[in-house]
Amino acid sequence: MNKKHHLLLLLVLLQFTASAQDSTKKQPPFKISGTIGVSYEHYGLSRKPTGWTGFTPRKPWNQLRFNFTPTMQFGKNFSLPVNFNFATTPTNFAGPYTGIGKQNLGQFITNPMNSFGLNPKYKWAELLLGTQYLNYSELSTGDIGVFGAGVDLRPKGYFIKFFTGLSQQGINFFTGPPATTGAYKRTNWMFSLGKMKEDKYEFAVNFVKAKDDSASASPPPPSVKPQEGFTMSLVAKTFFQKGWYVKVEGAQSLYTKDMTLPLDSSKSSFKPFIKGNTSTIKDYAGDAGIGKKGKNFDIGLKLKYIGAGFQTPGYPFMLPDRFDYTLNTRFNAWKSKSGTHKMNVVASLGKRVNNVTSNTLKAEQFIANLNWFTQFDDHFSLNVSFNNFGFQTPGGINPYGIKNVSNDFGLNPSYTWGNDKVIHLMSLNYNYSKYDERDVLTGNITSNNTHTGLLTYVPTFLTKDLSPDFTVMYFRNTLPLFKLTLITVSSGLSMPALKKKLNLRGQLQYNYSKTNSYKNNNNLIASFNSDWKVTKKLTWSTFISSNQFKYGDEITPNNARYLESIIRTGFNYRFE
Amino acid sequence: MKKILYTTIFLLAMLDVRSQFNTNIVVSPQAPGSIFNWGTKDMTYLVSSPAGLGRRVVIKASFKTLDGTVVGTTNLANARVINLTGGNQLFYAADVIPADIMVFSGKYKVSLDKTGKLPSDNYQLCVQLVTPIDYLPVSEERCRTFNLAAFQLSIPVMPANDMVLDTKLAQTYITFRWTPVTPRPVFPVTYRILVFEVLANQQPVQALRSNQPLLDKAITGTTQFIWQPQLGMMDLSAGVDSVKTSKQFIWTIQALDQQGKPISDGNVNGDGVSEPAIFRVGKKEEK
Repeated sequence: MNKKHHLLLLLVLLQFTASAQDSTKKQPPFKISGTIGVSYEHYGLSRKPTGWTGFTPRKPWNQLRFNFTPTMQFGKNFSLPVNFNFATTPTNFAGPYTGIGKQNLGQFITNPMNSFGLNPKYKWAELLLGTQYLNYSELSTGDIGVFGAGVDLRPKGYFIKFFTGLSQQGINFFTGPPATTGAYKRTNWMFSLGKMKEDKYEFAVNFVKAKDDSASASPPPPSVKPQEGFTMSLVAKTFFQKGWYVKVEGAQSLYTKDMTLPLDSSKSSFKPFIKGNTSTIKDYAGDAGIGKKGKNFDIGLKLKYIGAGFQTPGYPFMLPDRFDYTLNTRFNAWKSKSGTHKMNVVASLGKRVNNVTSNTLKAEQFIANLNWFTQFDDHFSLNVSFNNFGFQTPGGINPYGIKNVSNDFGLNPSYTWGNDKVIHLMSLNYNYSKYDERDVLTGNITSNNTHTGLLTYVPTFLTKDLSPDFTVMYFRNTLPLFKLTLITVSSGLSMPALKKKLNLRGQLQYNYSKTNSYKNNNNLIASFNSDWKVTKKLTWSTFISSNQFKYGDEITPNNARYLESIIRTGFNYRFE
Repeated sequence: MKKILYTTIFLLAMLDVRSQFNTNIVVSPQAPGSIFNWGTKDMTYLVSSPAGLGRRVVIKASFKTLDGTVVGTTNLANARVINLTGGNQLFYAADVIPADIMVFSGKYKVSLDKTGKLPSDNYQLCVQLVTPIDYLPVSEERCRTFNLAAFQLSIPVMPANDMVLDTKLAQTYITFRWTPVTPRPVFPVTYRILVFEVLANQQPVQALRSNQPLLDKAITGTTQFIWQPQLGMMDLSAGVDSVKTSKQFIWTIQALDQQGKPISDGNVNGDGVSEPAIFRVGKKEEK
């Protein structure tokens, strides 16, 4: 509770300071923009019969969230963006903080659910403090939040970036309940040096390093050893006339999977940054793109290779051992009298090869997408879409290889008509989806077919403030010995009130679902939003919803039901 | 004549010693490619000897191809000496094939240096107890054949990365498809599908690492799941602004073995979690 009190006090002080500064808005040397806000959300779940746990909670019972994200501009050359976002109850699910209950201050600050960042900037020099999600390039770093300090300097077209800090605190393994995965304290360093000219070129060399502290968790996490990684990459981007561009990046990584093993001089090292031990691996990755971007025509070819041993600390979820290429295009056609184009086509074609290093296990994935939109006239438009992917592997030790093929076809005509009082929009969305999976032992193919139809009607009243909408949806999924039918009817209504200072929205939705010959399930969802502009800068938002679901007899116990509810309310103050 | 006599006595003595140690080895028929990360379920070496019989030994292990070519073996000079105290003793990969003691050659060393894995193929693992100084065998050599597979985790396919779903459809159902773990393991894989809401002011990966999932569902036997998310009860306008024009979600697949443990071979985190994909619910981009 003490921590909560401190945070509240900090927020109030910051708000007071910001308000005081805001009163001096007219003074040219100072300007402030951005927002400050607080919101509370309650989630409720009631399940019957008592003791039934077939539906699990989807949100924390109570959560208080704060955001403080102003940008203060002092004169012409100095600015101070602030990014504070934090919540009082940890909800970590995936990753090392999973199951963490009570956090110490260090864990609270570095918990990925919270951000505390300051970026004071004077002319071309920016100081990076606190939580930062920095993206240097696609093969070095870009997917990891680090709490620390660094700089981003950009003198005369050059850039020098450096940042160091903690991406995770040491967390002791705990068998539970609730179980805590545990983690080693990890320190990250990143450095980038380069030169760029906007829309002309960019050259950069990037270095990224992360190292675990082996003694930071006791007991240590059982499934992971302390690790150390170092990646360097070279990036070149060039932009030519008429929208042509070339982008290339090459990277090398050295990664030690187990720091507890002894050093090994026969293994790759890059001293003084990383010394190889018996578990150190070294591999490469490359990324290239070439294409043209224009107002009415884009085309681009993208290639990516990730070696089987390539691993960078900046992208912890990157899957290695793959090569993929994609050809993308977009163009506009069929010019109207007004000069705009009536037709827009977006398409891509690609292939991904997994397990590149293995001759016997290579898996191939084909991807094709097409989206074709045509506005025939002021009333009628049609969108056609097609998506295909196929995944295929050799049999290996099985009689047959994996072969999964997915095809999705969509048709979406829309028609509008009306008069000076009301404009009507009628839209139909039909989708056919087919998914075939081959059994690797018998060779039998299971075909999964889905038909979906969605009809939407939206009248827009030009003389009234009411905005209703109505939808009906039919869905049917079939595969051998299985049939699922869904029918949804929903309607929404939005309207302003209090001289348009208050916006109200409500939605009611009924879902009918039936599996095979089981008795159908019923689901009723109601939601209500209100956004009230209390003053020009202060908004009070409230959201209330309930979700009543009643099963038929497809699960045991029969007629089980649950009621979910959400109540969220919050204030948001806009500085400018 | 004396030499023949001594040799015969020595061999008889060795046979006697060998008969005192009964050994057995169990290797998973489809073991992960990262041999130095093998756990207890991947390899077990059992040594049985009469109670009270103490002896100092080292474990000699060899990886061989099916034609018998040795591709890696224990550096006996650096091997750890083990005190056998009699009775049954179990040894696991960390004792039998420790990373710092095993020596590989040729393309197998290159592959290990580059990827941390041996090339996917069929191998034999042969294990024997030998004396510490002169490396004389004190047990039978036990060999097991196994298939070494470099598992590739699932790839989220649908909704594809950055795909925008129609709000009205997504409120009722969202179809998820992913590629299976390859090569197909001999055990049934359970795919745990996880979907997270990306809150206002959050990065997608931040949401994955810190939020409670909206969906946590275990699927076995197929690589498709039709989710009825009842998203109508959520405020899909929350977190949507001029930058994020539609509500973001991030989803991934965690692959589990038959014991519910993550397939640890597919990524560096050892958690079986695939590279996530982002999808959005809301208005599609302007044409």
